[in-house]
Amino acid sequence: MIYHVTVNDQTHSLDVSPGKGRTLTITRAGQDPKQVLFHSIDDGHLFLVVDGKAVETFAAEGPQGKHIFVNGRTFLVKDAGEKPLRKKSGSKVDIPEQVTPPMPSIVVRILAETGDRVKRGQGLVVVSAMKMETTLVAPYDGTVTRINTTVDAKVAPGDILVDMEKVVLEDG
Amino acid sequence: MFEKILIANRGEIAVRIMRTCREMGVRTVAVYSDADATALHVLEADEAFNIGVPEPSASYLNMESIVQAAKETAAEAIHPGYGFLAENADFAALVESAGLTFIGPPSSVIRDLGDKTKARKIMQSAGVPVIPGSMEATTDADAICREADRMGFPVLIKAAAGGGGKGMRTVEDPKDMSEACASAISEAGKAFGNGAVYLEKLLRKPRHIEFQILADQQGHVVHLFERECSIQRRHQKIIEETPSPVLTPAIREKMAHSAISAATASGYVNAGTVEFLFEPPDQYYFLEVNTRLQVEHPVTEMTTGIDLVRHQIEVAAGNPLAFTQADVTQRGHALECRIYAEDPAAQFFPCPGPVLLYREPRGPGIRVDGGIYQGCEVPVEYDPILSKLVVWAEDRPAAISRMMRALEHYPILGIQTTVPFLLDVITSEPFKRGETHTDFIDKHFQHWSPDEKGQDLAAITCVVHDLTRGPASRDVRDPKGISTPWETLGHWEL
Repeated sequence: MIYHVTVNDQTHSLDVSPGKGRTLTITRAGQDPKQVLFHSIDDGHLFLVVDGKAVETFAAEGPQGKHIFVNGRTFLVKDAGEKPLRKKSGSKVDIPEQVTPPMPSIVVRILAETGDRVKRGQGLVVVSAMKMETTLVAPYDGTVTRINTTVDAKVAPGDILVDMEKVVLEDG
Repeated sequence: MFEKILIANRGEIAVRIMRTCREMGVRTVAVYSDADATALHVLEADEAFNIGVPEPSASYLNMESIVQAAKETAAEAIHPGYGFLAENADFAALVESAGLTFIGPPSSVIRDLGDKTKARKIMQSAGVPVIPGSMEATTDADAICREADRMGFPVLIKAAAGGGGKGMRTVEDPKDMSEACASAISEAGKAFGNGAVYLEKLLRKPRHIEFQILADQQGHVVHLFERECSIQRRHQKIIEETPSPVLTPAIREKMAHSAISAATASGYVNAGTVEFLFEPPDQYYFLEVNTRLQVEHPVTEMTTGIDLVRHQIEVAAGNPLAFTQADVTQRGHALECRIYAEDPAAQFFPCPGPVLLYREPRGPGIRVDGGIYQGCEVPVEYDPILSKLVVWAEDRPAAISRMMRALEHYPILGIQTTVPFLLDVITSEPFKRGETHTDFIDKHFQHWSPDEKGQDLAAITCVVHDLTRGPASRDVRDPKGISTPWETLGHWEL
């Protein structure tokens, strides 16, 4: 059997052939086959011996794929048949293209009004999640065309809190 | 001794207090908001009392509801835990006037020490060294901005009622001052019910070292040595340890003496913490007294063998301390890692949601103070602390190795947590060398991203997990792992 899985957005192809008892031989392109002894003590709790080395791993099925824990690290593993996630571009400090909260949160202050001309990076809405406040900023220079939220509203990632129109440079 | 205590808190600290109560034969009452009906602290308690909607100001910060809950359940004392109402003098006074016992210092002492300006005066007159540059606390953002201009930047805005980094902002550039002020005042108001803030001169490379004190109503005061809490993000501690890797016996003795002077001068009763900023080799400044049990109290319990919650309850019941300073010794080394529901790769943004899988590490010298369980939902409304992982070993290197093994065996799946980040911090060379300053995270781990090693094993785990699951379980994709009869029965009508 060939398995195609993506681990944190990177695709792995594994050729898996069952052996005697609880053993598998797993081969990846260009690598030596790995001998794997496995035992599942309850759903999601596995003991593996990979090439003679013991490791305890954990797995849980979530809405976006399998969450897996190996030696203190967590991984999101998906079936590669599904559409892979768009590779995150650039560094983490990049400003998202939309004014949307990164986590479920509550709106505490609105810093702009419809019609305001705003600069890239200027604060528009302050949200609070688990008592921590975060300021959502303008993704580009532009005009606020609509405020889609109110103070105390519960908001989630994907909710566009402020509609904006990009400034078109008229005379260079 | 009390027969029944109400715990006015939630999460891991409520659970931890209830464990000691159970050992003392004291019955427990939990209070809970609508968001916490099936939270661990509710399940752990002998009785549970609903105090309102999830919003903290309507539930865990609602003093009248909590006192009413104590009266209706016939609890004789209230333990406030940390955060919420723990350092609210009005709450302590309300509890006292209702004829109940507040497990903590008298309301007058909380009021004096909670007023950072007054606390500073008390410390100065007791000969305890204080930090330069404070002023009166206020909610007037303009006044704070003017004072900052006068003092010069950088400055630290701090909540008068606070702790735990809530309502705190570092301001380097004068143009950021007004938004930082508004934000700090609003955050402090939400977290403590009091938005007043004040200013402090920012020290460049300090360590945060605090002393645990314990005082009874008969006037005995002891210290239980120090905790070093310099590893912080957003001014909130994430790793604590004792003993501090830098204190010499002479400076430890001197600081302990100052801590006892601070407690005596303020008329302190019950458990408290005197916080200092320390600049090697021997300069230290009084920061504040936390008039409550600290999040990081377990490291002190591990090295002294003293259950602080038990003594808090004994002292509150009027019993004298059962030991003297000479009986308190520090043995071995303890470390604590705070496990938060936060994404360390995205500026520690909070990450509420369902816990799909949860297992606690086990073995010698390991203690987990947890407030969650597999299948629970971490709510959006409260502080993101999930649990504290504490280890004890003979010395610091052994404690670090033990913490590493424990973190490697602490799976929490479904939400992002600080576990992988903490693992990288405690195994880093600067941490091993004890170079722990309050700027440690910014200096060494500002652009941290998760280690990719282990991907191979993750892929293998995925395959084995699929192969070992039965067809029935494979189809259940409900995030909580529970399928209701309505789902499995198929279509039908009433």
